[in-house]
Amino acid sequence: MAKHFVGIIGALLGAFVGAWLLVAPSALAYQPEGADWADPTFVDFWTGLPLTVISGVGLILYSLGLAEELRNRGILRCRTHEDVPSRDTEAQTVPSQRQSDVEQSLVPLMAAILQDMQEQRQRREAPDGEGAPGGTAHNEYSVHGDREAQSERRTRQ
Amino acid sequence: MIPNQTKAALAITVIAFAAGIWLFLAPFIVDYQNDWKTLIDATKSDMWTGGALVGIATLTLLLFLAFALRDADHESRRRLIDENVGK
Repeated sequence: MAKHFVGIIGALLGAFVGAWLLVAPSALAYQPEGADWADPTFVDFWTGLPLTVISGVGLILYSLGLAEELRNRGILRCRTHEDVPSRDTEAQTVPSQRQSDVEQSLVPLMAAILQDMQEQRQRREAPDGEGAPGGTAHNEYSVHGDREAQSERRTRQ
Repeated sequence: MIPNQTKAALAITVIAFAAGIWLFLAPFIVDYQNDWKTLIDATKSDMWTGGALVGIATLTLLLFLAFALRDADHESRRRLIDENVGK
């Protein structure tokens, strides 16, 4: 595996050398601006350009070789034809899956809200003293609910 | 086994090595260095760049070979151990 990394670094340095060759005539000012290209400029440019390109290709090839070896060792998962879903299938399944995730996360919240509303309605409909045994409230929610019911009755009267 | 992509990449490294030699010799071959007593900037640049490229390519090839041999050694030892365990 390390051999591929060595190759990648070598190709990267080769690409840097190629890029340097492209800019060297201007950087070292041995190519006068606006004048015809001198021999060293021709040599540097036409060596630097192919060198940059082939080093880039080399970089890609070393990376592909690394990926191949990782697949052979089982580190990288091999993508088979069956694993790759078509774009249409992906477009159909992904939004519905997201939607179902959102729905599933909202279900407990909705259930809690519904239960709370149901309890409040029962307290309002029930006569005084029935909602809380012995005429005492059990918790702050029931106290809150009783107060609400009382204020509602007063407004009706 | 070395994958085919890596073999192609190695060939490219060899080409880079050849490009380094070409750059080093270009001032002599193209003859843009008139007076050999004092080297012009272009010659110095090409010689240093060519030398660096030859060095990079050589180092890459040697290290690749060394690591490939090490991997092959590990693989052969692993197979030997597997065979012995299988018996």
